[in-house]
Amino acid sequence: MTLVSTTTRPRRRVPEALRSPLTVVGVVVAAGWLLVVVLGPLLQPADPLAQSPDRLAPLSAAHWFGTDSLGRDVLSRVIAGARISIPLSLLLVALSASVGSLLGAVAGLLGGVVDEVVMRLADLVLAFPTIILAMVVAAALGPSLTNAVIAMLVVTWPQYARVTRSLVLGARDREFVVAGRLLGIGWFTSLRRDVVPNVAGPVFALTTLDFGNAILLLSGLSFLGLGTVPPTPEWGLMVSDGVQNFTAWWVAAFPGLAICSIVLAFNFIGDALRDALDPRMQKAVGSRAL
Amino acid sequence: MRRRHFLLASAGAASAATLVACSSDDGGSGEAPAAGAALVVDNAFDLKTADPARSFELTGALLNRQTYETALTFQGSDVSTPVPQIASFTISDDARVVTLKIEGEHKFADGSLVDADDIVFSYQRLQGIKGNPSFLLDGVEVRKVDAATVELVSADANPALPSILPNPSLGILNSELVKANGGTTDDSDGAETFLNGQSAGSAAYQIDTLDVTSQVTLKLNPAFVGTKPTYSRIVLENVPPATQKINVQSGTAQIATDLNAEEASGLAGGRTAVISQASAYMIFGWFNTDPRFGGPVSDPLFVQAVRHALDYAQLGELAGAGSVQPGGVVPSQFVGTLAQDPSNTYDVAAAKDLLGRSSYDGQEIQFLFSNDVAVSGVQLQILAQAIQSQLKAVGITIALAPKPSATSLDSFRSGEFQAGLAYWGPDFPDPSNYLAFTPGQNVGLRAGWTPQSAGAGEVVTLVDAAKAASGPEARGAAYEALQRQMNVSGPFVPIVQPAQNVVTAAGLEGVELNPIWTMDLAAVR
Repeated sequence: MTLVSTTTRPRRRVPEALRSPLTVVGVVVAAGWLLVVVLGPLLQPADPLAQSPDRLAPLSAAHWFGTDSLGRDVLSRVIAGARISIPLSLLLVALSASVGSLLGAVAGLLGGVVDEVVMRLADLVLAFPTIILAMVVAAALGPSLTNAVIAMLVVTWPQYARVTRSLVLGARDREFVVAGRLLGIGWFTSLRRDVVPNVAGPVFALTTLDFGNAILLLSGLSFLGLGTVPPTPEWGLMVSDGVQNFTAWWVAAFPGLAICSIVLAFNFIGDALRDALDPRMQKAVGSRAL
Repeated sequence: MRRRHFLLASAGAASAATLVACSSDDGGSGEAPAAGAALVVDNAFDLKTADPARSFELTGALLNRQTYETALTFQGSDVSTPVPQIASFTISDDARVVTLKIEGEHKFADGSLVDADDIVFSYQRLQGIKGNPSFLLDGVEVRKVDAATVELVSADANPALPSILPNPSLGILNSELVKANGGTTDDSDGAETFLNGQSAGSAAYQIDTLDVTSQVTLKLNPAFVGTKPTYSRIVLENVPPATQKINVQSGTAQIATDLNAEEASGLAGGRTAVISQASAYMIFGWFNTDPRFGGPVSDPLFVQAVRHALDYAQLGELAGAGSVQPGGVVPSQFVGTLAQDPSNTYDVAAAKDLLGRSSYDGQEIQFLFSNDVAVSGVQLQILAQAIQSQLKAVGITIALAPKPSATSLDSFRSGEFQAGLAYWGPDFPDPSNYLAFTPGQNVGLRAGWTPQSAGAGEVVTLVDAAKAASGPEARGAAYEALQRQMNVSGPFVPIVQPAQNVVTAAGLEGVELNPIWTMDLAAVR
């Protein structure tokens, strides 16, 4: 009975976690935004770059989210902004997870000097507050979308490296990995075939949680004038424009709500995935269940 | 733009300004306080010191104006003509010698009379401290002639000097009192702490308490010989603009000095009133005349096309009610201003024609600006986007190149950037301050404009004529001619003087904006 219980429980955990109301909300909101990304041009009521004399117009039938300082339709810009912020953040997380995980896995598997170099480099980056270091890098490179992504990549890879390294350290001494090495397979094959599948779950959960941070970081850099260049309709830049006119609350409020909703959605999803995929969380959940 | 962060106030001035003061129906409770009560003024502080010889900030000028009289002053918002405050003045034909003659009695708070020694000490102290405002009297020798007369002798012609003397940094101090508290006329001066605790001037108010980060309170100078102010106490509060609006609406403050046009527009009428005037700031476009850095924008025809491609009226709307389009680089309030110029008019057909004859061939133009700067509430970032859109309409492709002001100014100063948007606030209200925009000078060089640049020769000739001109009329005509030529062959496109807005409780009278010291609170009633 115990054997049956332990072999079936993990299969149920992902659905259980996803049945949480917050997770459902997260999935629905995230799916909604992904739909906006795909269908964006069809949903925009106006050209997001088109200026008009109708400046700072409040919410109306013609402009559901009002207009900004240059008479641009805020709804159209929020929709267009989704097509910039969300794909870019996904790209950043993918890059960051790939680079960080690879370095962490190599460091964990090889150990020695390689481990020391990679981890001290990671420590060096982690010693600075993320946003401050990202600002320094972005300011040095100059404001642009590409440079913002580079700046964010510089500051985000270490957390993946650390997590992956710790997982690899745990996995590399397991019997099937040792057996594989004794049978003569190379370290890269061992990494790819035996180690990666065993550490991928927690790293994937981390990427989901990190997506929200990426959105915030990208928006933060643009808000500070170090990210997207105007007139690109990026959410952080739109909030920055809006806060200068606090009487026209809608200019900053709607892109702000967009950031808030997508970040919360992915945090909810990330929490659920972490509960489901992280072995430590599984153990904790399993203990409670038993 | 020397010491730009200490530049003259963005307060508006007179001539081309609009004045809007009406009553509101917004249900606010702001109203003028009773005579004798405290007048609360909300201001976004940039205050560093109350020592006039060390202060060159906007809040410092506002504060020192209330506590120190100056030899000369300006009447209300008219900064074109200096008039006597402590002294009358004459200027020699060669504009090298200004003679100040004390008029009537002026008393410090301890009852002692202002005399020539006080003027000489105050001016020499300003020079000797070598602080931020010391440059105002660069090259000027201060001499006492007799107990009531002082001579200011400049090495070269200095027709701007009478317009410099009203600056609150040149406030006249009680020399005996300041000397007794560490004051000297060199950089060993140690009177700043004393002057931050109490003022030593002859104006209507004196400092009661001072905290440069939060609040300054002023009390009456009992020995003041002028008209007694309506309010016996002034409270100057450091308040961000958003809170200023709430305070003036609720009646917590009677004057708010830092609201932009959008914020102020909702307050016009009812129990609050809005005063909007053009500020002395001038926002301009610039295009590098050096072909190595400017490329196609170094072609004068290209700049002329830009001058006609810009919709100045629309840009003025973005800058808010009360803003004006300057005809040249000299703001609308100063002697020598150019009311309008045919070179700087919106004419799409002319712009396309000029562009077609220029060497521009559709290249992308890098357009620099500070993305964290708002000039009198006008964000350069918003203005740059509007300019980008307007230039696109005639076929000019602009790539915006925003940078934080900490780095954008360096890029501009390098003289190696292609084009951009910048602003200038005057160091003193005289057109000679704008000679910086001419070939080979400070700002001119930032746009690669040298006396050897194409078309610069005629401008250089007109610069010499402007420097040699004497008297308001001749100087005015000379500076107008200079600006007309600059609008033909120069790299600077004057775009807008943004508005400055002050919101007051309804019923307050005597609030006149001044581009140097914002307003004279002793005149408020």
